[in-house]
Amino acid sequence: MMLIDLAANALASGAALGSIYALLAMGLAITFGLLHVPNVAHPAIVVAGAYAVALANGYGADPLLAALLLTVPFYVLGLGFYTFYSRAFELRGRGNSLQSLTLFFGVALVIEIGLVIAFGTDLRSVSVPYVGQSLSVGFVTLPYRFLVPALVTPAVILALWLYLTRTHGGLALRAVAHDERALSISGIDPSSVKRHAFGLATALAVLAGAALIITGPVDPFTDRSLLGRVFAVVVLAGLGSIPGTLVAAVLIGVAEAFVTTFVSPSWAPGVAFAILLGTLGLRPSGLFGASR
Amino acid sequence: MNNRIVLERVSAGYGAVTVLHDVSLEVREGELVALLGMNGNGKSTLLNCILGFVRPTSGRILMEWGGRVTDLTAMRPHDIVNLGIGAVPEGRRLVPTLSVEDNLSLAGGVRRGRGSPAETLAFCYETFPILRERRRQAAGTLSGGQQQMLAIARALMTAPRFMVVDEPSVGLAPIVVDQVIDAVKQLQTARGMTILMAEQSFFQAVEVAARAYVLSHGRIIRTVEQGRELADGEEIRRTMMGMA
Repeated sequence: MMLIDLAANALASGAALGSIYALLAMGLAITFGLLHVPNVAHPAIVVAGAYAVALANGYGADPLLAALLLTVPFYVLGLGFYTFYSRAFELRGRGNSLQSLTLFFGVALVIEIGLVIAFGTDLRSVSVPYVGQSLSVGFVTLPYRFLVPALVTPAVILALWLYLTRTHGGLALRAVAHDERALSISGIDPSSVKRHAFGLATALAVLAGAALIITGPVDPFTDRSLLGRVFAVVVLAGLGSIPGTLVAAVLIGVAEAFVTTFVSPSWAPGVAFAILLGTLGLRPSGLFGASR
Repeated sequence: MNNRIVLERVSAGYGAVTVLHDVSLEVREGELVALLGMNGNGKSTLLNCILGFVRPTSGRILMEWGGRVTDLTAMRPHDIVNLGIGAVPEGRRLVPTLSVEDNLSLAGGVRRGRGSPAETLAFCYETFPILRERRRQAAGTLSGGQQQMLAIARALMTAPRFMVVDEPSVGLAPIVVDQVIDAVKQLQTARGMTILMAEQSFFQAVEVAARAYVLSHGRIIRTVEQGRELADGEEIRRTMMGMA
């Protein structure tokens, strides 16, 4: 009985955790998965988003509502960021991974240091009425601070999926990943599609930031512990698969929760990579990636 | 109305290698003109110059249409397409993971003010019934001939005045080649489309084209007017192959 109890709780909290990981990875699934831009600054942007949400929360705004409004300035920020990136690298034919990687690492550092200068290194959190309370069903107890942000992910994925499959802009975004020239021939400017995609990914980062800071306190260096996990989720899902991102993230979340419960919490950070390596050995294109 | 596309002494290349040398040609409204030459003589480079994928190192490419002259030489590819130049490129360049219909609506989604996308889509399906049948199928799963038809239909979706068709027969079975070339010819005769088509298969091309330019080592070595081609055909073919 005790064992089932533990397992059920691990499953519930792991699924919730995984759902939050999926939200953290969503922007990267677009920039890295679809555009092949190795945006290692994504977790740092998520953390910056979390700070923006915390700031708004200081004035009494609900974190999720604040994040929804903040998607607009973050989208614009993403457009600017991509314009800079493509002028500096891609258009000059220097879009190789190593140089872009260096640029994005630099950006991540600048964001971290910017946050330290502006807010100090203390942990920040948001205050919402449901933090500290839990939902209990039978012998499963799940804190609302996990449950609420976990429920945001399916909604975001549904919206994103509808956008990608039902709209012209979404079609263009799926096409740009395969062949930019196919877009040009269709009369569409591939660089404007990529710019828009980057804006979208940055807007998703602020939603993820809200989820992150509702889950627990955040400091300027939180992005570092997220980076590996978030890349593992995107690669495990298979580059470019949006629904796959949720499945991969939940898989990792549940596995981590089980390892934490039954083995030791200190092993948990290795779980994502163990699953990733195991899967890539069998399916090099990831769980849902199209084999090329 | 002297609507036409003109290339004036266009040279182009890649890095230090010059592929096209001072190429001049014109395609007048309603004409189907063939560009003949064996592989590696500059046919695709020339078409890519018109489409903006390759920048000429010298010379100009002009579109003279409806009394307006537009210099295409420094324009970006999607702007050129939206100006009314449809492209059926080398290698077809479809999006393999998108469905047939998604590939078409991608090209029909930009407002160009030349006819409605829905009407054009209906026309495409009428011209190529197999595409209607397969409209939900991923483009990558189509046969070579069907993919070529889709590439032609996609170019039509951009509501072109002028179409650039790069080797529509490449890699296709002979019977399919006939179908595809016929379809291109149909566009000219039934729709009055203006077309520049690159081809390797000489006899296929001269059968349908009003005029043909023969490209060898990046220079136009011959212009063939229809009516003369049958008498000269064998000789021209030998020139093309580098045997004469």
